[in-house]
Amino acid sequence: MQLRYYILRRVLLIIPVLVGLSIVTFTVARLVPGDPVKLAAGPRASPEEIQRLREEFGLDKPLVVQYLEYMRGVLQGDLGRSLMNGHPVTTDLRRYFPATLELVLVSMAIAVLLGIPGAVIAAVYRDRWPDQVSRVLALGSISMPIFWLAIMLQLIFAQHLRVLPVSGRFDARAPYPETITGLLTLDTLLQGDWTSFRIALRHLLLPAICQSLLALALTTRFLRSDILDVLQRDFVRMARANGIPERIILFKYVLKNAMIATVSMLGFLFGYSLGGSVLIETVFDWPGIGLYAMNSALTLDFQPIMGITLFVGLLFTLVNLGTDLFYGVLDPRIRYGR
Amino acid sequence: MTSNHPKPSPQMRALVDRYLRGELSRRDFLRTVVAVGGLTAVQAILAACAPAAPPSAGGQTGAAPAAETAAGSAPEPKMLIYAASQDIPTIDPSDRTDYSIGAVSRQLYDRLFRFEGGWPQPIEPCICESYEGSDDATEWTFHLTDKAVFHNGDPVTAEAVVYSYQRTLRFQKQRSSLIAPFLDEGGIEAVDDRTVRMVLKSPFGDFPRLLAFHEQPIVNPRQVKEHEQGGDEGAAWLTENEAGSGPFVIKEWEPGNRYVLEAVPDYWQGWPGESRLAGFVWRIIRETADRRIALLAGEVDMADTISTDDIDIIANTPGYHVEENFGLLAGYVKMNNQLEPTSDLHFRKFIAYAMDYEALVNVLGGHAKLMTGPIPEGVPYQDPNVQPQYRHDLEKAKEHLDQTPWKDGGIELDYVYVTGLDFEEQLGLILLEQLGKFNIKVNMVPKVWPDMVAACGQPETGPHLINIFVDSGPIPYNWFVEQWYSKSWDRDTGGSFQTCDFYKNPEVDTLVETLRGAVDPAEQERIVKELQQIIMEEIPGLPVYVLPTIIGMSDNVKGYVFYGDISVDFWRLWLADA
Repeated sequence: MQLRYYILRRVLLIIPVLVGLSIVTFTVARLVPGDPVKLAAGPRASPEEIQRLREEFGLDKPLVVQYLEYMRGVLQGDLGRSLMNGHPVTTDLRRYFPATLELVLVSMAIAVLLGIPGAVIAAVYRDRWPDQVSRVLALGSISMPIFWLAIMLQLIFAQHLRVLPVSGRFDARAPYPETITGLLTLDTLLQGDWTSFRIALRHLLLPAICQSLLALALTTRFLRSDILDVLQRDFVRMARANGIPERIILFKYVLKNAMIATVSMLGFLFGYSLGGSVLIETVFDWPGIGLYAMNSALTLDFQPIMGITLFVGLLFTLVNLGTDLFYGVLDPRIRYGR
Repeated sequence: MTSNHPKPSPQMRALVDRYLRGELSRRDFLRTVVAVGGLTAVQAILAACAPAAPPSAGGQTGAAPAAETAAGSAPEPKMLIYAASQDIPTIDPSDRTDYSIGAVSRQLYDRLFRFEGGWPQPIEPCICESYEGSDDATEWTFHLTDKAVFHNGDPVTAEAVVYSYQRTLRFQKQRSSLIAPFLDEGGIEAVDDRTVRMVLKSPFGDFPRLLAFHEQPIVNPRQVKEHEQGGDEGAAWLTENEAGSGPFVIKEWEPGNRYVLEAVPDYWQGWPGESRLAGFVWRIIRETADRRIALLAGEVDMADTISTDDIDIIANTPGYHVEENFGLLAGYVKMNNQLEPTSDLHFRKFIAYAMDYEALVNVLGGHAKLMTGPIPEGVPYQDPNVQPQYRHDLEKAKEHLDQTPWKDGGIELDYVYVTGLDFEEQLGLILLEQLGKFNIKVNMVPKVWPDMVAACGQPETGPHLINIFVDSGPIPYNWFVEQWYSKSWDRDTGGSFQTCDFYKNPEVDTLVETLRGAVDPAEQERIVKELQQIIMEEIPGLPVYVLPTIIGMSDNVKGYVFYGDISVDFWRLWLADA
């Protein structure tokens, strides 16, 4: 079986995963107490108004019919409409996803750019002070509740030092940049608009730092451990015996071999963060799908909840597939489909 | 104006030139590009940590052209940044009525009357210059101004008014709920270009006040028809676009993020202040503490829903102040009148006397006002001297408890409140402490709002005690029909959170129905006072406190007027020179 059959098989496996996910989400969303129709209709709604709204959204039909109709819409690319504002869910996902993607990409970049050198330094200076500092920082990052840290950073940098904005994605006093991809930092760079880039980056810094901490801490500690493990292998002794400079051994041979587990973990965290940045987005009023998900959940807005779950589930499985394929790049011995 | 094309830095340009001339190998070129790019990124990050420069003249703080500014020394119109706690899910004039929607709709659309003249709320003309009602209060005629124009230049006519109301009634969404009991589509007609007649289903003496409170935005039917998709009457388009005649138009609409409105310099009603705004930005900051931080850091000029804990911090900061006003947001502890033991009148009176009201005000730092009757001060015909008044009196509480089967206590009551609302939790804790003195246990039950609304549907699922807030506007009838009229809950679809005491009294039902048709103010006053008397005597729920509307603002913000609502009327505001 060739690689393309392997990819095809993995893509086809996504279908039962999403169907299972949709059934679980649909059932849970319907079982929780509360009547979203009454909530949407408002306290003064007459019985007729409530009934009309129920019919408009098909909520007067049996659950199985509701589910089948919903899935028929999904197959046609229609994820339904919000009960609260009538927006198509696909429109809202398109609107909110770029903000989340930007946040997650930058936070993962921070984790990789700081985590990999940090792990190398910690491994090279094993049990000496750089390693100890790295250990304390990593444990501290994981132990601190992320929302608490976010609030502390807001107090320090926004309230006391006043060097960074407290929340939001862009300065309300400045003209909003023209969007191309929806990733404001990228869009402003593409347009050469440095003023807007700087504003976008200032708004992104605190949420991205908070979002990156878990991945940063895990990368540093896991990769350090793997590097130490690889350093004990025979090929490293052989390389040293052959007089290959330590820098080349470390960065060209050891790091590449040690990266597989870290790549797997980063892939998982990337996929997880795309749907799991609710806390950060809430604290920083970051208009992404995490905040969208939370607001929908608070109002029991069924169709956005279903749409977000399916969308994030799809992303997660695709990111995992991408990660698996990337192993082959790191280690040519890994070949799928043979 | 920003360019649409990337502008490479000079270093990058030179690198590319050298590579193209063959002076650099591909590997060296890529290495250098990465190094220069990295350095640039570091520089950008370091620069980003510095406070932002003032926005350019082309930005939204941009003042209006000199020709547009008021004569003399009036400050130039500027952009105001408003930190709001709530998003604006839609601005369709026939859809929802959340405070954020109302606040922005008022700026984009005109309506028959306006209510923003101060407190207590006078009805002010807007599109409607005058009106008259028939003697039996079933037929109302409204005479419109001939000055109003939509933003596209079309005149605001009687046809537009009729279409706007009929569209809302056809949609049967939240906005229709207030007027649907009185009016149907066929009852509205344009007599001529400037006259609208409304014939009610049944008499209602307070109809003009109801219309002022309802604030139906008047939409341009021609624009709606131009944007109709599949017979939706422009619903999809109007969610994020406007077709109004108000003092502002939409400049940017970034859902979930920020909304920018720009002033109409030659607005047909003019501008009431010394100056005006160039526009305003509705910036969503959901966390209370973040709104305070953003205000004091100068990121925003005004912030709504300020926490009582932040009042002193803001007020003690030079250049800022807080507007704290009591409107009609009334807090009740509803008691389930269909469920033992709160179905027992003496038990309800026991709770009413056991509650330590002053302790609650103290816990809230004095930022609450105790109610003196079932409806708050500011509602017409509210009687502050209605009897009995319930205040903390443990002896009286004991007297009433002794007249119930639970005089020795030994029972448990559920107190339901909204998860995370500290002041509602504090109220429950006070009840817990006071009722505990009589061997009655109060179970604190936090619930998220949808669960609370669901629980309030039927008496069987309604809790013993529940803390809710009601604002039924300056219309006495609304307060009684929405809370204590049995047909508002005793029906197949159940009630709302407002009817959660499930009170049933045929005498009250009859009085509410009579009040609806009463035209004579003296008659209205008599009925409203009688209703207050009965409700206090029967005490279906505890009217406890009115919470203030707290808005923090820079001292540069001028023209603010409180009119009983959390919303701000941006039409009246301007920014003084710093």
